[in-house]
Amino acid sequence: MHLSYRWLARHVDLSGITPQQVAADLTLSTAEVEGLTRFAPCLSDVTVGLVKTRIKHPDSDHLSVCTVDVGQSEPLQIVCGAPNVAAGQLVAVALSGTELPGGLKLKKTKIRGQESNGMICSERELGLGEEHSGIWVLPGAPHVGRPVAEALALEDWVIEIDNKSVTHRPDLWGHRGFARELAAIYGRALKPLDVSLPQAPNASAAIAVRIESAACPRYLAVAIEGVQNGRSPDWLRHLLLAVGQRPIDLLVDLSNFVMLDLGQPNHLFDRRRLSPAGILVRGANSGERMTTLDGVERALEPSDLLITSGGSAVALAGVMGGESSKVEPDTSALVLEVACFQPAGIRRTSSRLGLRSDSSARFEKHLSPTLVAEAAGHLVRTLQSIQPDARITSQVSDVGAWMDPALRVNLRPARVRAVLGAALPDSEIRSILERLGLAVEAAENSWSVAIPSIRATKDLTAEHDLIEEVGRIHRYGNIAERVLVGELTPLPRDPRQDLVRRAEDRLAGGARFHQTISYSFIGDELLDQLGLAGAEHVSVVNPVADGFSSMRRSVLPSVLGTLHGNRRHRADVRMFEFGKGYLPEERNSSGEPREVHELALVWARPKAATERPWSADLLLHMQGVVEDLFVHLGLDVGAESLGAAAVEAGAKIPSWANPGRVKRLGKAGWIAQVDPRVLRRLGLSGELASEVVGAEINVDALLAAPRRKLGYTPTPRFPGSKIDVALALPTEISAAQGVAAIERAGKGQVAQAELFDVYQGPNLTSGRKSLAWHVLLQAEGRTLDEEDGQKFLKRLRREAELLGGELRSE
Amino acid sequence: MESANTLTSTVKARIEAAGSDTELRAIEREYLEKGGVVAGLLAAVPSLPGPERPAAGRAANQLKLEIAAALGAARERLASADLDQERSSAGFDASLPAQHSPRGSLHPIVQLTRELSDLFHSMGFLVLDGPEVETDEHNFEALNIPRDHPARDMQDTFRCDPEGKLVLRTHTSAVQVRAMRQLKPPMRAIVPGKVFRQETTDASHEHTFHQMEGIVIDKDITVAHLISTMKVLLRGVFGREIEVRLRPGYFPFVEPGFELDARCPFCKSGCSVCKQSTWIELLPCGMIHPNVLRSSGIDPETWGGFAFGLGLSRLVMLRFQIDDVRHLLGGDLRFLEQFS
Repeated sequence: MHLSYRWLARHVDLSGITPQQVAADLTLSTAEVEGLTRFAPCLSDVTVGLVKTRIKHPDSDHLSVCTVDVGQSEPLQIVCGAPNVAAGQLVAVALSGTELPGGLKLKKTKIRGQESNGMICSERELGLGEEHSGIWVLPGAPHVGRPVAEALALEDWVIEIDNKSVTHRPDLWGHRGFARELAAIYGRALKPLDVSLPQAPNASAAIAVRIESAACPRYLAVAIEGVQNGRSPDWLRHLLLAVGQRPIDLLVDLSNFVMLDLGQPNHLFDRRRLSPAGILVRGANSGERMTTLDGVERALEPSDLLITSGGSAVALAGVMGGESSKVEPDTSALVLEVACFQPAGIRRTSSRLGLRSDSSARFEKHLSPTLVAEAAGHLVRTLQSIQPDARITSQVSDVGAWMDPALRVNLRPARVRAVLGAALPDSEIRSILERLGLAVEAAENSWSVAIPSIRATKDLTAEHDLIEEVGRIHRYGNIAERVLVGELTPLPRDPRQDLVRRAEDRLAGGARFHQTISYSFIGDELLDQLGLAGAEHVSVVNPVADGFSSMRRSVLPSVLGTLHGNRRHRADVRMFEFGKGYLPEERNSSGEPREVHELALVWARPKAATERPWSADLLLHMQGVVEDLFVHLGLDVGAESLGAAAVEAGAKIPSWANPGRVKRLGKAGWIAQVDPRVLRRLGLSGELASEVVGAEINVDALLAAPRRKLGYTPTPRFPGSKIDVALALPTEISAAQGVAAIERAGKGQVAQAELFDVYQGPNLTSGRKSLAWHVLLQAEGRTLDEEDGQKFLKRLRREAELLGGELRSE
Repeated sequence: MESANTLTSTVKARIEAAGSDTELRAIEREYLEKGGVVAGLLAAVPSLPGPERPAAGRAANQLKLEIAAALGAARERLASADLDQERSSAGFDASLPAQHSPRGSLHPIVQLTRELSDLFHSMGFLVLDGPEVETDEHNFEALNIPRDHPARDMQDTFRCDPEGKLVLRTHTSAVQVRAMRQLKPPMRAIVPGKVFRQETTDASHEHTFHQMEGIVIDKDITVAHLISTMKVLLRGVFGREIEVRLRPGYFPFVEPGFELDARCPFCKSGCSVCKQSTWIELLPCGMIHPNVLRSSGIDPETWGGFAFGLGLSRLVMLRFQIDDVRHLLGGDLRFLEQFS
């Protein structure tokens, strides 16, 4: 919303207070000022000129050659193309060197051979609206040679208010409301304004108005005649222009002026278009349609409120007038409507139709019904000040079940001090309230404060509302800070937050993963790529874009979604995310889906051209990351291999997992290669061909997981014996079975068996692989000797043969 | 046969000339080991005339000792030369770059959240979490924002059903109500987390971002305490004293409500960050509305409090001068790596 400084000054004396000061003070006490700009700044650069002579241009049918007195020693010759230019006019002259709003910079020139030393301007050329049919003929006394802004007292500043900051202030949707604030801030009086409806002698009967809906608590209608519609006086046009309202004609301008002045919307009907039967305010019939002023035909619903006349809609109540009944240039007989509508209904209708108007914006803030008569009086009196012949010709029809919202609120001055933390004396509190127009009846400890109607609808209804009034006018900046105090007791720590933090540090610092945070939404395309399209998702009904209504069930898919982009720029991609998945099938009693805290890990690198050695296997490295993390967190959780049989038997593995390469992390989650089909669908092929492994871990399961017990065992007193052994085993025998064989052969003496090689290749019988371990034998109470080693190997040879393999080396 | 004396000088000369351990080892074998020269001398002693024998024996033993000593000295000389070679700067390019291990990183939102959590935890604030899919009750109704309230326009809401009974929380304030209903006053808590607004995205608008709500409920809590706490917060974020100002701001769940502006930490007389105003609108805050306290079963006559809502995403952008909010949740490693 734009405010004009000059307009504000119509209501409160601002002498000695600059627009900059006003903007600063409104910001600190009332509402957020988003900008302060000069109105039509070029008006200070153009000069008042007097056209002395005008002759037809010798070489043109439509150009004139004028001499114009601009206060210099000699009049200047200026060529002008406007049809209305004439000797004796006061005009606005842009001299050479002046820059006009369109960016036109004037200089001396010749137009068809005739010298021209400037330009006589139209209103549009000066940024004063659309008028461009001729030059602007200045009204008023001659101030030849002076800047136009100064000569016509047009200097003005535009204060831009953030509408959101006055959502709760129905009284601040017009200039008088802001002037009331300034009066309180500066301790100056609000200028009186006569808003009484003029008496109408010999008035005809009132216009018949019937209200059928509770959504219209007050409706006032009165007939006005003797109006000559046409161009508004300049003062009115300029005020409207300053606040960004395009002047149309007197009647439209006047209606806008009253709304922007008092904040009360109103409507003028051409009386010829209304039925003599009068006006009916009712809800729309289902299927009813009407065309609003903007030329759009709208389908209505019974919850929409209509102003109708003779059975057809003439206005969408409180939102916009109808096309059929608007005032025309030749309108001379009017019906003025000023009404009050309930905010919720206006809001619903304007939201549903996507039709936000100045009127609906005000009504939905909850205007006081008392404003209705004031706005009517203000409009008629302003009209008569412009056109004295205009007059009320009917009795006033003022109907509706409205009640004056004015109320009294109790205020304890001690409470003001207690909430604000400021030692304000009673007298200061009282002064602030009274400057705001609130009458105080003081008693010992509790005052009764009278809230005027315009502030009583919503804004000021309880004690704390008044405390805010005192605080903001006193200024929060004047309150000295005070440090919080309290009892010192140890604060509980949240185990989940602690676990997450330790894990983050480990993953970022130790495992060298990068943390990401993704959107909770997951696109349909990604769901398709991951084979998740069929799953049930929490979703929103109004997504930001088509195909983005689903919320992820788990976190890992979001991270996989970044791979295509990240692999384009980086060979090695290691990422983790702590986030939430949303499960629609598990809702609590209020219908909220369960939100699961998860850790997702993804590790990707280019696919190797030849098979990598077992020690470079990415899945094993990821398992190392995860197991090290668990150790760091003090958890006793390991990866269990999940046999193909279990997968085939329907073990529920994640959709992204390669069913042939998946391991279970206890009850906490999964670690797996990402399914190569998924990778292909993600576009990780060709140059971006990647091997990718992922882990999906439920954070709450980790919290519940068994803890690793730290304990002490005495260090061995006798040296052990180190033996490297290699077993050639059938490929289907697992490394774990190999270790079991070693342990059996060691008869309790195997202290350690560390795998150091896995080999499959030419030197082996086909269908076999070779596994090699560093084995440490250790015995209690004695040193092991050569013979012990030989016995172990002998037993191991037999164990290997039992597995269908052999002992390769000794 | 040469005399031991002549031999001594010949061998010593050879040892001193030797340039490698291999040569020394050959000399050692030639003279000192089985079948070597010294052994030959000693073996020849019994065949000498009686009176010469003691002297010849002594000379051979003397030779053996001297050779051994000379070999030891030569070996020490060679080893020392090797060490000197290693200690020389020849061929050392001190400007070669370091060999780094790859680094991981913590997300900047997480980094800031941790700093603030630690700061507030040290002042007795619990760090709470709450659901992101919220009921209308927690997100709006209990916060004094009934249906058809114009304030709902300020926060375009993702609805999970046509009536909006469930929504994606539009602010972390939704957790206020949960906290007040679960904990007993006095209480201090912060709630960092993700929030959602149905907005078209551009460089400065996101539909998903992070906030941190804070609440304090206690006896005798005043605007003066709020101001002090906000200054502590800013000192924590920017590492120095930052001037602040409170101006009226409207949020239905606080009364009085404020916008807190901080003096722009990046300029003295106006810059693009503060839009030339020298103030940055930083966070909405206010005294908790009595209706909100009441709806959570807390008596506003006994207890009072304040609440604030910090835009974590915005603060991260300010601190690191990030020009596009969409980087934060975009998952681009080229962005994330910068925070390691």
